[in-house]
Amino acid sequence: MRSIRDQACIVGVGHTEYSNESGRSEMRLACEAIGAAIDDAGLQRDCIDGIVKYTYDNNDPVLIAKNLGIPRLRFFSEVAYGGGGGPVGTILLAAMAVTTGQARAVVVFRAMNERSGHGTRRYGQASTGRAAVGTSSYHAPYGLFTPAQMVALAAHRHMHLYGTTSTDFAEIAVAVRAHANRNPEAYMYGRPMSLDDHQNSRMIATPLRLFDCCLETDGAAAVVITTPERARHLPHPPVFIAAGGMGAGPWNDRAMIKDIESAETEATVIAEHVFKDAGVERKDIDVLFLYDHFTPLVLMALEEYGFCGRGMGKDFIKDGCLRWPNGALPLNTSGGNLSEGYIHGMQNNIEAVRQLRGHSHCQVEGARHVFVAAGNGIATTAMILRREY
Amino acid sequence: MESDCFPYPIAAEGAEPFWSACNRCELKMQRCADCGDYRWMPDEFCPQCGSLAADWALLSGRGHVTTWTVVTHPVHSAAISRVPYIVAEVEMEEQRGLRMISNLVEVAPESVVFNQRVSVTFQSHPSGQKLPVFRPLVE
Repeated sequence: MRSIRDQACIVGVGHTEYSNESGRSEMRLACEAIGAAIDDAGLQRDCIDGIVKYTYDNNDPVLIAKNLGIPRLRFFSEVAYGGGGGPVGTILLAAMAVTTGQARAVVVFRAMNERSGHGTRRYGQASTGRAAVGTSSYHAPYGLFTPAQMVALAAHRHMHLYGTTSTDFAEIAVAVRAHANRNPEAYMYGRPMSLDDHQNSRMIATPLRLFDCCLETDGAAAVVITTPERARHLPHPPVFIAAGGMGAGPWNDRAMIKDIESAETEATVIAEHVFKDAGVERKDIDVLFLYDHFTPLVLMALEEYGFCGRGMGKDFIKDGCLRWPNGALPLNTSGGNLSEGYIHGMQNNIEAVRQLRGHSHCQVEGARHVFVAAGNGIATTAMILRREY
Repeated sequence: MESDCFPYPIAAEGAEPFWSACNRCELKMQRCADCGDYRWMPDEFCPQCGSLAADWALLSGRGHVTTWTVVTHPVHSAAISRVPYIVAEVEMEEQRGLRMISNLVEVAPESVVFNQRVSVTFQSHPSGQKLPVFRPLVE
């Protein structure tokens, strides 16, 4: 066996509500989402024998297993780089585990009280430490603390090199907000956003405005992965992991200050093989899930994964191609990190599965292939999922 | 705890010569003793040739602005009285791609332009550590 192509399936998904104050522990959030995903898969707790976490997640898999009544863990692992490694990297590890027989059914999850700060520090705030260490020692003394501020640097250079404007960034925010407004479970449901709303939102760090930045959220999301043989006996049509990959290079050494002129990037490393491995072309992708931590990074992901040329993102999206229902490549159809909830990207996997099951509130008719990318600007991961038919 | 200044740098392992040079108002970066490639940030091996041998080379302190952001939303208690402030990426004239993060000073946020020529100056952090910052170059 030389490839994970179609050797593993997503068979269950689950999540908690997405809020700014969950009122309960991160362990309870994790167990609620994981329990819901196992139930959705139609499995018993003792069928699960693997757990993969984000390195950033505070919950210990052994304690999760204890709380959920999972008697025997045969596979446990974790993926670094936060929203870059976690959302897809966890699923790829799970796929490799079930493909090689190291486990039979693996659950991956992300659970955090990131907005209320009860357990996890808000990523949009500066650490209160009086000293800065490591890479931060070259940034924090100058007042450069947050991902938003770091992404602002790359976004501004993108504007300079390619003529991208803030209204191009707005197109992404407005598109996913419209999708969130069809999803009653989205945090921003019932709160529409116009281009003017975006342009009038307060400046955070030029050129990034508030509505260029993702939400901060309390909540949890989880996904169950198993083999195709087992998947065929479960209630939902299996969603096949067609291909996936991890990508990074020496250009990722500067926290989230992206070097946009590097010919190779975390995304190009993956793009080089993932479509070939899955045996599909970009034009075969029906729904796009790009990690929308910050709108400029969505443009850069479109470019570096090869959906358009480098610097051409603004032209690619200007006719509304990211907007459901008429766009050719609807983006983050449940609202994404920007408007559904920021569960560090894991929530996008759930919507990808909904699309391939045919249950989305923004259903793309006959969706067969979806592309899912985790957070870029840092070491990242991406995959292609497909529906069997 | 509320702090009235940004964090001071604790030298990463191997970076002490950079910070001690700053305290003498000198901007120094590592330069490979074998292939002559400058590197930022400090590290163990030369990414070009793999050599472990490196010197600390004195830079001219001149460069140009490759990008910047004007921080307007304070996320740190010390930022409240400082916003708007400019965080910039400066490419040093010694080598293409040799870029460091710093502040631009003595310039209004709306007056900064791409490729603006700048030169280093040093500001004292309350901790006593001097930080290299950049101001428009008077040619």
